[in-house]
Amino acid sequence: MGNLLVNGRDQRFVLYEQLGVEKIFQSEKYADYSREVAEMMLGEAEKMAVEDVLPTYDKGDREGCTLKDGVVSVPQCYHQLYKKFCEAGWIAATKSPDIGGQGMPVTLFAACTEPFNAANFAFMMYPGLTWGAAGLIEKYGTEAQKSTYMTRMLTGEWAGTMCLTEPNAGTDVGAIRTTAKRRPDGTFSINGTKMFISSGDHNLTENIIHPVLARIEGDPAGTGGISLFIVPKYRVNDDGSLGEANDVVTGNIEHKMGIRGSATATLNFGENGNCIGELLGEERKGMKIMFLMMNEARLEVGMQGLGHATAAYEHAVQYAKERVQSRPIWEMENPAAEAVPIIQHPDVRRMLLWMKSYVEGIRAMNYFIAYCVDLASIAGTKEEKEKWFGMMELLTPLSKAFSSDMAVEIASLAIDVYGGYGYIQEYPIEQYMRDAKIACLYEGTNGIQALDLVGRKLAQNKGKNAMNLFAMIGETCQAARKCEELKPYAAFLEEAYTSLAGLTMKFKDWSASANMFIPILNARPYLMIMGDVVVGWLLMQAAAISAEKLGSILGADGLSAKPKRRAEARKNSEAAFYEGKLAAAKFFATTVLPAVKGRCRSIEIADKAPLEILEESFSV
Amino acid sequence: MHLVVCVKQAPDTEALIKLKPDGSGIEEAGIKWVMNPYDEYAVEEALRLKEKNGGDVTIVSLGPARAMESIRTALAMGADKGIHISDPSLDRADAFVAASALAAAIKSLPHDIILCGQRAIDDDSGQVGSILAELLGVPQLTIIMKLEVAGGVAKAVKAIEGAQVVLESALPCVVTAQKGLNEPRYASLPGIMKAKKKPVDVKNAAALGISVEQKARIIKMMPPPQRAAGKIIQGDDPEAKARELVRLLREEAKVI
Ligand SMILES: Cc1cc2nc3c(=O)[nH]c(=O)nc-3n(C[C@H](O)[C@H](O)[C@H](O)COP(=O)(O)OP(=O)(O)OC[C@H]3O[C@@H](n4cnc5c(N)ncnc54)[C@H](O)[C@@H]3O)c2cc1C
Repeated sequence: MGNLLVNGRDQRFVLYEQLGVEKIFQSEKYADYSREVAEMMLGEAEKMAVEDVLPTYDKGDREGCTLKDGVVSVPQCYHQLYKKFCEAGWIAATKSPDIGGQGMPVTLFAACTEPFNAANFAFMMYPGLTWGAAGLIEKYGTEAQKSTYMTRMLTGEWAGTMCLTEPNAGTDVGAIRTTAKRRPDGTFSINGTKMFISSGDHNLTENIIHPVLARIEGDPAGTGGISLFIVPKYRVNDDGSLGEANDVVTGNIEHKMGIRGSATATLNFGENGNCIGELLGEERKGMKIMFLMMNEARLEVGMQGLGHATAAYEHAVQYAKERVQSRPIWEMENPAAEAVPIIQHPDVRRMLLWMKSYVEGIRAMNYFIAYCVDLASIAGTKEEKEKWFGMMELLTPLSKAFSSDMAVEIASLAIDVYGGYGYIQEYPIEQYMRDAKIACLYEGTNGIQALDLVGRKLAQNKGKNAMNLFAMIGETCQAARKCEELKPYAAFLEEAYTSLAGLTMKFKDWSASANMFIPILNARPYLMIMGDVVVGWLLMQAAAISAEKLGSILGADGLSAKPKRRAEARKNSEAAFYEGKLAAAKFFATTVLPAVKGRCRSIEIADKAPLEILEESFSV
Repeated sequence: MHLVVCVKQAPDTEALIKLKPDGSGIEEAGIKWVMNPYDEYAVEEALRLKEKNGGDVTIVSLGPARAMESIRTALAMGADKGIHISDPSLDRADAFVAASALAAAIKSLPHDIILCGQRAIDDDSGQVGSILAELLGVPQLTIIMKLEVAGGVAKAVKAIEGAQVVLESALPCVVTAQKGLNEPRYASLPGIMKAKKKPVDVKNAAALGISVEQKARIIKMMPPPQRAAGKIIQGDDPEAKARELVRLLREEAKVI
């Protein structure tokens, strides 16, 4: 069966069986939601992803974007798709019904957008940036700004962007040089160049609303002096009609390794001294405000990683079942034996199970983070709110960096499964690898995400967020130990998370010692270890649930009757599914988790070679 | 204009169909159910007629509890209300019984045009729309690719071998939808939220006052015969191999 994008059964497992998302439908905020409604939305999303979005995937890549006579054109096939996507109401899905949204729980939205991201996330950048930018205006805009800009962005009539990066200001946003000069009427004259702006210019919509970071003349250097402005491509008249062009000129668009359907523009603001911006929120609070969008955007980038990972995996499984090559190892001595589908070869099975366990673990992680957002928003007490909000904050860098880094690995391994064909453009798999890489870079490189985790998030709430996480992992170990089948595997999880917790304590101890730079030096490996531990945890949690469900399918003999289990899984897809969950958890526990202790130790050794090596010595 | 659409829930075309061991039907566990694709065209056409002429769209579906999902999907696409005919005695209805149940429900409704899919992709019988028209005593326009309604007349285009025929009918009439009639819309998110609040009447056989005998009975379902393994013509001489191929096609396969 399958749709080559997303395993719908696993999505439902995480939503209903692992997280128990129906609980939040009981809250007042989400009272309009039910499993029935959720199912319809998931169904519609999957259908549109398969029938309308996926066919634009390679077409958009081949055609790319063009800049001609001052007009940036997106791939032709995006136009019709964009219209359908907006008409179906996806842009405003999670927004409140008061402003034209559907008030969708974030968890459900994550699940619904997974097939979209898997099908073509270069396309998804356009609506994605629009709902992010509209969200800024929703939260910080004046009533006039909301009615002028936000409402038309939430229907998709106008698009949005986020304009931070400049030639001299990438990671260090505080270094921006774009200026804002006060005009007598309270608006500002904007001047400067932004580069690498996604959806910065295109012909999907007649107007584009840019939130632009700039420094008001006279304000201090650094991030504390930055303000945020709304700068439309075309000015808007009082009656809502489009006015004259606002002196936002597209200098060029980039030629990229991947996401070629997403236009990445250099924008020159006020080259002719005629670009007008409106302040959004308070002066010098621009970075704080922008961070609201960036935090959400980081979770979205995590979902992009998941989208690539799942699509690459589903393709690889399908291919491995169809491609016939080589006799199986047990027929080595028999030259007359027939070649078999490659899924029967041990190395291919290992690759597939590796991918499966990461994909499912990363899915569970991202849905769990979304669920934390929902739990925080409906929490009854302050403590509960803090707990779930804190958990989301702690895990945001993992969502962004771990999902995207692993997506590249998974796409790469999918190519291995395809063999030489994987490298050829006739097959879709090479594009996933090219497209996936960008998610490691924008919204703050993964190196910066790791610094955010180690430098800020671990210590947040006096370390309580991290402690809550470790406590939840401990609970899962306990639950898994009660299951005869999982007991030995739970021990690997236990060892892994206690090693990580130990290393985390060391980081704290080192903060005022000669080793104070060790955590900064090792932030990225630390993040990757934590990602593995979180994935191992969620897979084990899923396995404990699956063991129980499988037990009730099998009846009296339970899990111990192995031949019966295999027979059942062959004829019953539910049994096969749960067996798959158990296999993924066991595989991960025995192949990835045992290395965690050694990886933690490698950091604890606290060797300083990378800090001490002379720049002269790197390449002589 | 009062529009009625008959909708059936059917296994997804991608679903892996397995037969019950006793051949009495298919295994339903693990199957993904969807609105019969031809019925989607019927729903879309009804919605377009309503958008053009005003009026209302009622969805009628016969089927077990799960059929409600397809009714809700049609309501989410924009239909106004639904009737769900649900009765264990009708679960295995043949085309005649199904059409009788639908007719009983539709008789009590105002109706100008009744739309159906031209067939359901599960049993592929393609009879319900026609029997329904007979039972209601109205004309039928079947397997329609284009429909226009004006001045109380339905004008429809149907493909026949090598040509198209244009049919006209007075209202009320039954129209069965063929692929190509339109491009069905998605249920929008606002549509899905509204659909929950739209009324759906659930009726059983007694409430409809029907008690009819099946005309057809499924004796046994069997998978299609397995294809025999292919035959590879051996030899080094292409000419001889070609001659052998022609002989086999002629004498064994009897296709040339
Ligand atoms: C396709 C694409 C789309 C983009 N879309 C947008 C957009 O819509 N809006 C927008 O504003 N920007 C956008 N960007 C810009 C993107 O966010 C930046 O490229 C990114 O933040 C990195 O900045 P940089 O490229 O200048 O790299 P640099 O800042 O030059 O970084 C180079 C390397 O140095 C490391 N580094 C830098 N500082 C530190 C530090 N303090 N500690 C440790 N390591 C450090 C980085 O991690 C990286 O490995 C986009 C970029 C691309 C390629």
